[in-house]
Amino acid sequence: MSKKAVFFLLFSSVFFFCGFEDKKETISVGAAAPLTGPQAYIGIGMMQGAQMAVEDANVKGPVFGNTKLSLVAVDDQSNPTQAVLMANKLIADPQVVGVIGHFNSSCTKPASTIYHEGRMAQITPASTNPEISRQGFDTFFRICATDDVQAPAAARFAAKELGVKKIAIIDDKTTYGVGLATVFEKEFKALGGTVLSHDGITQGEKDFAPLLAKVQSLGPELVYFGGVYPEMALLVRQAKKMGLEALWMGGDGIFDVTLIKLITPPLATGIYATMLGVDPHSIPEARDFVTRYEARYGEIGSFSAYGYEAMNVLIEAIRRAGKNDRQAVLAQIKAMKDYPGILGVINFDKNGDAIGKSVGVYKVEDGKFVFLQEAKA
Amino acid sequence: MSAALNLFLNQLLNGLTIGMVYALIALGYTMVYGVIGLINFAHGEVFMVGAYLALTAIWLAASFFPGIPFGLTLLFLILFSMAGASILGALIEKIAYRPLRRSPKLTALITSIGVSFFLQNAVMLIYGSKEQSIPDIVPMTRLKIGAISVSLIQILIFSVSIGLMFFLTWFVKNTKTGKAMRAVSENPEAAQLVGISPNRIIAATFILGSALAAVGGSLFALNYGSINFHDGYLAGLKAFTAAVFGGIGSIPGAMVGGILLGVFEGLGAGYISSEWKDVFAFLLLGAVLLFKPSGIMGNNVSEKV
Repeated sequence: MSKKAVFFLLFSSVFFFCGFEDKKETISVGAAAPLTGPQAYIGIGMMQGAQMAVEDANVKGPVFGNTKLSLVAVDDQSNPTQAVLMANKLIADPQVVGVIGHFNSSCTKPASTIYHEGRMAQITPASTNPEISRQGFDTFFRICATDDVQAPAAARFAAKELGVKKIAIIDDKTTYGVGLATVFEKEFKALGGTVLSHDGITQGEKDFAPLLAKVQSLGPELVYFGGVYPEMALLVRQAKKMGLEALWMGGDGIFDVTLIKLITPPLATGIYATMLGVDPHSIPEARDFVTRYEARYGEIGSFSAYGYEAMNVLIEAIRRAGKNDRQAVLAQIKAMKDYPGILGVINFDKNGDAIGKSVGVYKVEDGKFVFLQEAKA
Repeated sequence: MSAALNLFLNQLLNGLTIGMVYALIALGYTMVYGVIGLINFAHGEVFMVGAYLALTAIWLAASFFPGIPFGLTLLFLILFSMAGASILGALIEKIAYRPLRRSPKLTALITSIGVSFFLQNAVMLIYGSKEQSIPDIVPMTRLKIGAISVSLIQILIFSVSIGLMFFLTWFVKNTKTGKAMRAVSENPEAAQLVGISPNRIIAATFILGSALAAVGGSLFALNYGSINFHDGYLAGLKAFTAAVFGGIGSIPGAMVGGILLGVFEGLGAGYISSEWKDVFAFLLLGAVLLFKPSGIMGNNVSEKV
């Protein structure tokens, strides 16, 4: 047989099989997260959770009629500009009926405008900035706690459980960091504490010695950081080296084992962090997911369960809507009552935020984040 | 001694530490500019590669010679990083800039930005996009000198940087290669007439500048304990500012510019606002360019018409 004939046969067989596939209708769900760039590994963890939700749904059978669900994964690189581009790409795809994402508040916020204009439901698994849900977009939903829950919980823990009176606050000047630090400051003052200083730093900067020397001279008992772990690691490391004796605390952005690796376990011991929800390992409903996830991808990421949960809510809404229609899917999410998620029951308030979502307080011990207690709004 | 004075001296020390690193990088910018009139924007990336090479050297030392004293590891990592970065510098010059020697200046400038992107992404692909942690090989001892306490790593940064600056000054003044560098920088055609090969001298300049940046990168990595593939960008930008501030093309200018920039930034961040840290650096540059366009130590070269 000549080479040409072989190629011809190969090509025609491809079309032949495609023809069969086409008989089954497909409907798509979008998922947006940073898959490259500095926060890629968190985004990938979230995406793997979403992927498993889609696979689980397809295993159960068609969501409605004879449709197969497919995932359209897009990469926002933790970059707001890229996030808007990707949101427009998802809107332009008529097969996509809803989206979960993004990870960073600074990406979720501008993208939410695009989804709102495109009348497409957006569920964020991880963005905690409270401002996003106050824009009045009926297309926006969130299944995690906001910084309105997280930061006051942290402030109460610092004031009541740790008994600190004088603190210093540092933030990284991002939507997330400033939001978290500002709410923390307000709550800590309301509890009668003293905020000695509130400074900003630039992401990507390395030398914080001048700022820390100033903070040291003020003598705080605790330093709260609104930001993500790379800067937290540098801050703590430089502070310990210059002999700044203070406790350290941060939000979900610092909750990553890389933090401990960068600071080295002995120096990292005693750092406090709040994290959305409790450890999925400790929730009976999540056990099945966690086991399957860890068997497949290794240790579960901080946001993998949230990716899974958000995608499941979206798929349930598609199932109930029963057609390829963005408006119908959106209406079904709005109408959803007491959805039994693996991380707890979900009900959305009028802004689209899940009601009663708690945060957990953790402490670094022996190179790990150890769960201390749950804190509600 | 009062607490305020104590704080001031500590802030001064912090500023001097980072200033030394800026100065080491700035030297590379200024030397290359002096010789071929090119702002080599890839130089910040050479600094970053130097930091990664230092990390690699620590890994190598730990796996092949476990338990050797930290002084030897230190020596090995600095030499390893210098050697690696020198090769990289020579390659960049040979592959990216030499073919463009007769093209307009802008072409080489844009090429240097391209080289910078290439190196950043190459390092990201090789070492990964996450922060890499640098093992603490230098003991965390602090020495009390009067009221200020200095860490061992800070002493190391001071002594190595100052030593290298003296070496470079001697090298440029007294060695044959150094004299040739000055000749090429003065007038490349005339230098060629007296038997100097500009290509060789330009390559030597790149090698020397890259080696200095690599030392800066190694010290930077040891001091801050974590490195990332995009660290070269900001550090390179600051060092470039320092070079222009000191007078681009002038070697003592780069040293003074780097140190002053570090101190200015440190005091600004410590006393006014850390949020505005970068603003201070660039404000300083703007002010100098406004009042003394050739920089504090630059020569006023009138444009030939």
